[in-house]
Amino acid sequence: MQFLQTLDGLLEHIKTVEYETIVLTREAQLRMVRFIEKNKMTLDDETLEAMQYQDIVAQQLNATIEAIESAQEQMQHFMHVFRHDDQTAAQSIEKMQGKLTCALEKAKEKHSAFSGKVNREDDEDGIEFF
Amino acid sequence: MPLVIFVDDSETALASTRMVTDSMPITVKQYLSAVDALNEIKGGMVPDLIITDMNMPVMNGFEFLQGVRANASTARTPVLMLTTETRDELKAQGKALGLTGWVVKPFNPAQLKQAISRVLRLA
Repeated sequence: MQFLQTLDGLLEHIKTVEYETIVLTREAQLRMVRFIEKNKMTLDDETLEAMQYQDIVAQQLNATIEAIESAQEQMQHFMHVFRHDDQTAAQSIEKMQGKLTCALEKAKEKHSAFSGKVNREDDEDGIEFF
Repeated sequence: MPLVIFVDDSETALASTRMVTDSMPITVKQYLSAVDALNEIKGGMVPDLIITDMNMPVMNGFEFLQGVRANASTARTPVLMLTTETRDELKAQGKALGLTGWVVKPFNPAQLKQAISRVLRLA
């Protein structure tokens, strides 16, 4: 029980750090953009492509925050049951394990879905007309 | 000049597209919310091209596309999805909803310019 409470606290901390990372990287990016636009600077294509990474990083972190919140919800449900009913708690452990596994699988799917062309080995140009 | 609207809930993503399209002979309007963009369209704005993100809160790219297609004056307006999503089933769904094309982030700036020029038939 104490273990789960500690784990819940650790997950909350990770969520906070991730959220702060999103905010800080966004602010850093926007300040750079303001400087570039104010000084009418022209960037090359490679740099313009790199300027898009913050958006991808933010989406990835948001997806892991969602996964953490889903896991925390299951853990909190289990802790509530454990406090009130020992017999049901045993069944709840199995259910919690299943739901945590499900949360992990969803998080991995989103990691793949939100990566865009980053981490892909193929050399497609990424634009497709229907 | 042709009107191109960008819809994305990320300020940094909009900034990236703005820097790419700055030198093009087009008028650009940007929206952080698909709801706001759709309201302007319903209010009479007729863009020549719409480029929208997929994953957005409140109204996602597909819901926005359906709203655009349901509006008589934009029923045939070209719409490109600009997204990190690469899943084939989503592309097929977009195509069925009347999407013009799919652009994966991070986009190559030269290729995005070419895609816009191609859709708008710019010289």
